[in-house]
Amino acid sequence: MLSVKNLTRRFGDIVAVDDISFDVVPGRLTGFVGGNGAGKTTTMRIIVGVLAASDGEVLWDGAPLREDLRRSFGYMPEERGLYPKMRVVDQLVFFAQLHGGSAADGRRRAHELLERFGLEDRSSHVLQTLSLGNQQRVQIAAALIHRPPALILDEPFSGLDPMAVDSMAGLLGEVDADVPILFSSHQLDLVERLCDDLVILAEGEIAAHGAPDEMRRRGPSRYRVVLADDAEAGWLRQERGLVVTDVAGATALFEVDDADAPALLRRISDRAPVQEFSRVVPRLSEVYAEVVA
Amino acid sequence: MRTRGDSRESAWKVIAGREINVRIRDKAYLGATAFLLVALIVGIVLSSVLGGRPESFRLGVVDDAGAHIAESAQEVLRSQSDTEDVVEAVDLDSVDDAEGAVTGESVDAALVPVQGGYELLGDRELDSSLSSAVATAVASTVTAANAEDEGVDLASLSQGATVDERLLDEDAEDAGLKDAVAFGFAILFLFTALGFGMTIAQSVVQEKESRVVEILAAAVPVRQMLWGKIIGNTLLALIQIVLLVLVGAVGLAVTGRGDVLGGLGLAALWYVLLFVLGFLALASLWTVAGSLATSQEDLQSTTLPGQVLLFGPYFVAVFAGDSVQEVVSMLPIVSTMIMPGRIAQGEAPLWQIAVAVLATVIAALLLIRLGARLYERTLLQTSRRLTYREALRLPPE
Repeated sequence: MLSVKNLTRRFGDIVAVDDISFDVVPGRLTGFVGGNGAGKTTTMRIIVGVLAASDGEVLWDGAPLREDLRRSFGYMPEERGLYPKMRVVDQLVFFAQLHGGSAADGRRRAHELLERFGLEDRSSHVLQTLSLGNQQRVQIAAALIHRPPALILDEPFSGLDPMAVDSMAGLLGEVDADVPILFSSHQLDLVERLCDDLVILAEGEIAAHGAPDEMRRRGPSRYRVVLADDAEAGWLRQERGLVVTDVAGATALFEVDDADAPALLRRISDRAPVQEFSRVVPRLSEVYAEVVA
Repeated sequence: MRTRGDSRESAWKVIAGREINVRIRDKAYLGATAFLLVALIVGIVLSSVLGGRPESFRLGVVDDAGAHIAESAQEVLRSQSDTEDVVEAVDLDSVDDAEGAVTGESVDAALVPVQGGYELLGDRELDSSLSSAVATAVASTVTAANAEDEGVDLASLSQGATVDERLLDEDAEDAGLKDAVAFGFAILFLFTALGFGMTIAQSVVQEKESRVVEILAAAVPVRQMLWGKIIGNTLLALIQIVLLVLVGAVGLAVTGRGDVLGGLGLAALWYVLLFVLGFLALASLWTVAGSLATSQEDLQSTTLPGQVLLFGPYFVAVFAGDSVQEVVSMLPIVSTMIMPGRIAQGEAPLWQIAVAVLATVIAALLLIRLGARLYERTLLQTSRRLTYREALRLPPE
């Protein structure tokens, strides 16, 4: 398990990352979400070692992360970059060798990955002749080429078309169960669909942390009631034991403890026929907007 | 293929290998190397053709005495130049014919008797070696004839009046060639070190421009990247210089100047050693020139210190007097340019060579330490070009 513990990074007077701690559990995809300047990239760069922490540390299975292990992490930086004038396959073999693998192994693995990404016919092309989307796929292949023990991917889905997003997501799902994967993204719907754990960062601090489902159900439960025959629901505001957050005609939204919900439904239907009574789970984007606000 | 313990130790080899692979497929590099080789071969061939070729003259004569003088002039020429020069006598009927043959260029010159001696006719100019040989021949032939007329024994008259030359330096005849070789050593180092230095700087800034540097820095220690670049390009430069030295040696041997190789061979070996050390001393500065820059255009200013460190010694090598050269030839960088030439000319005692090698090794070690420090601190700064002063003040990451 990869853990970040009390990590802090200052740039002069600016605190980019402020005492954050979270775990990236193997076999679970951990999404890293936050606005621009929230500290996601800084945190990831500290994890892979291209930036030093001002304070705090990165742990592996509870012990300080060893240098050689850190070097072998698969890393895809926010600012993409490979050798523009090198052939695709040579490039991947170079990275495989850089991580201590043999050229033959690297070549085999490169062709395997290129086939996965539908780039097998481009393997001998020079990188800069590929479309940006395809260059991005090669970039991901470069991060995976040496079968890394952990994956740190900064915005791996940005710039990919929906098909490529799916094949990338499929690939991440197939990575060995003992490999922790941390990826950052701006696309909340994608994060919600893909990741098992979520870390929301705001202004260098952790705003929320946990499984997305659990996060959405956190806090007071919300319900919605729709009265029959378009009866006005405004009178609910005067009821006890619930907090009405919104009323529009026959529809009302309110917060109430789950335990009290059945009794409340009986009380309402005593006064007016109820067409619908349901639990409302907020979308992740609503949770996000709430926690970073 | 999961990380093995030795991966970080050998990363520099992979990086050096990539540098070499990319370069030997680069048309510009291959073209430049081919150009240097061709220029060297042409130079050797030209100097052999122009320098050692026997000369042949057609000398118009109008009588038997003239023919005899032509024969004697050929002897004089051959004894002076050590080559099989030919002075061919062309019999002509009269002075008018001789003038016609000269202006018609069917002969190079014509020797005609005039009142009180001879006249050597030329069209627009006379070859100086021919004219002095003819003058000598006329003088000795006429003197011998006069002596016989007067009943004087010429041999006894001129006894003891000869001056022979003997040069004590065995290699003296090759002095001109060795001067040229010494100059060649200096200029070859200047251009090769400059060329490969720029290549190193470009290679570094290309990795910054394409952002691949961040992946590299995450995967391998920055010092391994530095060493990979330095060693890869030093090997490339070494291959080029050894190739040039070998082609030069073979060229001299083939064109019949193999005799000078003995003196030059030792100098060439020292040159290769001093070349590698001098190149290594500057190599880390070129990597820093690359890591300070954010684009190719920045290199103009960031490579300036490296350029000064090459052109300065070069001008010293070319323009300084002998005593200054003797002292500065023991300094790093300057030594690579001057010392091999001094060795070739037999002027450098062993202790001076040793001092030069030692000083260059120390300079290389110090500069590589400084270079590694600056490189580590500036490599991942991609926002703007940094100056050396700023780089020295940066905290370690």
